[in-house]
Amino acid sequence: MSQENTAAKAAPGVEKKEKPERDIHNLGSSFIFKPNVIDDIHVKAELGRYRMRGFSLFKKIPHFDDLTFLPGTLTRFVIEGYREKCETKTILGPRAKRPMELDIPVYITGMSFGALSYEAKTALARGATMAGSATCSGEGGMIPDERRYSEKWFYQLIQSRYGFNPHHARLADAIEFFIGQGCKVGMGGHLMGQKVTDQVAEMRSLPAGIDQRSPARHPDWLGPDDLALKVEEVREATNWEIPIQLKLGAARVYDDVRMAAKCEPDCIYIDGMEGGTGAGPHLATEDTGVPGIAAIRQARKALDDVGKTGEISLIYAGGIRNGADLAKAIALGADAVAIGHAALIALNCNKDIEEADFPNEMGVEAGYCYHCHTGRCPVGVTTQDPQLRKRLNPDEAAERVYNFLHTLAVECQLFARACAKTNVHSLEPEDLAALTMEASSMAQVPMAGSQHTVGRPDMTRY
Amino acid sequence: MAELESRDSHDMGMHDEQLAGRTQQIFFKPSAEENFTYPGAYEVDFDKETEFDAADMSNKDVNLKIRDLMSQGYGSITIRNPGAKHSLGVCILNRLQLTFDGSLGYFGCGLIDGPNVHIKGRVGWSCAENMMAGTVVIEKNAGSTFGAALRGGDLVCKGDVGSRSGIDMKGGTIIVGGKTGMNSGFMMQRGRMVILGDAGQNLGDSMYDGTIYIAGKYESLGVDAVESEMTQTDIDWLEKKLSIYGLKAPNGVENVRKIVSGKKLWNYDNLEPSEKKLIL
Repeated sequence: MSQENTAAKAAPGVEKKEKPERDIHNLGSSFIFKPNVIDDIHVKAELGRYRMRGFSLFKKIPHFDDLTFLPGTLTRFVIEGYREKCETKTILGPRAKRPMELDIPVYITGMSFGALSYEAKTALARGATMAGSATCSGEGGMIPDERRYSEKWFYQLIQSRYGFNPHHARLADAIEFFIGQGCKVGMGGHLMGQKVTDQVAEMRSLPAGIDQRSPARHPDWLGPDDLALKVEEVREATNWEIPIQLKLGAARVYDDVRMAAKCEPDCIYIDGMEGGTGAGPHLATEDTGVPGIAAIRQARKALDDVGKTGEISLIYAGGIRNGADLAKAIALGADAVAIGHAALIALNCNKDIEEADFPNEMGVEAGYCYHCHTGRCPVGVTTQDPQLRKRLNPDEAAERVYNFLHTLAVECQLFARACAKTNVHSLEPEDLAALTMEASSMAQVPMAGSQHTVGRPDMTRY
Repeated sequence: MAELESRDSHDMGMHDEQLAGRTQQIFFKPSAEENFTYPGAYEVDFDKETEFDAADMSNKDVNLKIRDLMSQGYGSITIRNPGAKHSLGVCILNRLQLTFDGSLGYFGCGLIDGPNVHIKGRVGWSCAENMMAGTVVIEKNAGSTFGAALRGGDLVCKGDVGSRSGIDMKGGTIIVGGKTGMNSGFMMQRGRMVILGDAGQNLGDSMYDGTIYIAGKYESLGVDAVESEMTQTDIDWLEKKLSIYGLKAPNGVENVRKIVSGKKLWNYDNLEPSEKKLIL
């Protein structure tokens, strides 16, 4: 019997299926002009400006998730997972007279008072100190209590110089030159008028309530030759004692790092495009920068090529969520990692706490909030509103930050031990494999189950 | 900072804290008013004078020598043959009469708070950047980014200066006896800048606040910079300030023009549609 005949005759007792009605008006939907894109254009047509938001990028990019560890089995002798010593001590700027010594390879990155509340800033400082780690002032100057609580403290020298005070520089354990950030490379900071309170404005020498768009260039140097002299000036100012760090947004990483190294800093900090912000143009967050897995590898190669590995420390930040990300960043070449948004989440960012009503206050459910720029943070982290600030208990928040930092270190140890290392800093690219061709190409590690590294002319290891 | 100072650890309940991990008591003393000892600020005596020759010294050694002399109480120091070395006299955080008998390189007298500095020659880029207080007087010309991010004090160049002078100013006064280059007063926030000669393009571009006085001509004003009426207070202040440094406006202070912020960029979101073209 032919197939046609079988299809034509329905079995007795079985209802014949009706064909769905043809919709001659619907050919499908645009892959480019999706409903959210159309809505975005509608909004901009009303606003007449770019749209602002906080948080980090929304779109999917090659990420640490696309890498996996190759732990020891028979080819490597594993370290006992929960007992045997695995060193986490981290020294940043080993050439400096007073290097930055951390107990763990992770610290809290610079986030300004202004973007964050007083309670958030001090809780981060206390949590980091309990964990034997460091914090950074961020833009906007030093708040005395943050310095008091931070046993190790970076003071940020940023383009705007808001609140920069040489007396405070002398109190620092390290100076960080902010040259760019990963989520909006090539742009200055933003702080919308709602957050520029009298207090924040006074610290920054600004009129209160203005929309602050910080400069993207430093006022007193323009290129790497000037920067080298500026680094020397700050060394003179701080008695040649403490590490000088250059923070770069990840873009042309290999060349940027080589130029940065010529300025003779003690540390170079690379911020991947996964990095977050308290406020920035949405498009800048989505469409600038280079993913971390590519940036770290390029930065390490640059330092190797100029012979500065071991002299200049490499710090990575951007998209670090857990100890696996931390361990992978170290394996790719970072000496330490800095976290920002993950630390804010530890404080309570996007948590459905009792006092908060995310749907009514922010228009989104907890877990989906990215409205740091509005200054209406319902958990008291990214706000200057006195009522909202009360929702963050700094004691409990400090302990959560400590717990999270400690967990990151322990998780990192877990992977290091599994890969047969007694020191987390011994993790290396050899310990990684890529799960996608893109990740293999960017991170320059072989595809899982092979010796083939995408992009290598001979298709072998980097 | 009033609110910060009034809040201490007692208000925040930190004395009942049950925190695990490393102790914080070694560095946290809530009873102390500020609990900071700012290092590197010395008590000096202006009548205690000395001088030294920097011709064969590195910039690091010169700065160390200055600090050493200040720690011994010397309040008047003259440095011969500075040789246009970079970063000389940086981060002096106390009163001092300091004279450079020659020229400085880049970043001369940056990050200072309090000294009175007299430079008999020229200076390179970024002289007195981020100065907090004191006076710096330069007899000849200055390079670009003169007085960048100045926060206080008087910075005076009796000759010409380069581009971007007074960029990101946050207070204090800059006086230029001659001409200034492009983008002077860029993103100025507070303070006063007096230009007795001409200025280049984009004078006062994107200035948030502050005042620029110009006795000569300017090539163009920057975004959101506008001319404003001179008041008698402006005239009186200019006369007094210029006389301190032996300077005069070529055509009299009455004919000086005043540039201020148009304040249209303060809240960009609130601009009328036609005003939004301001930033193109």
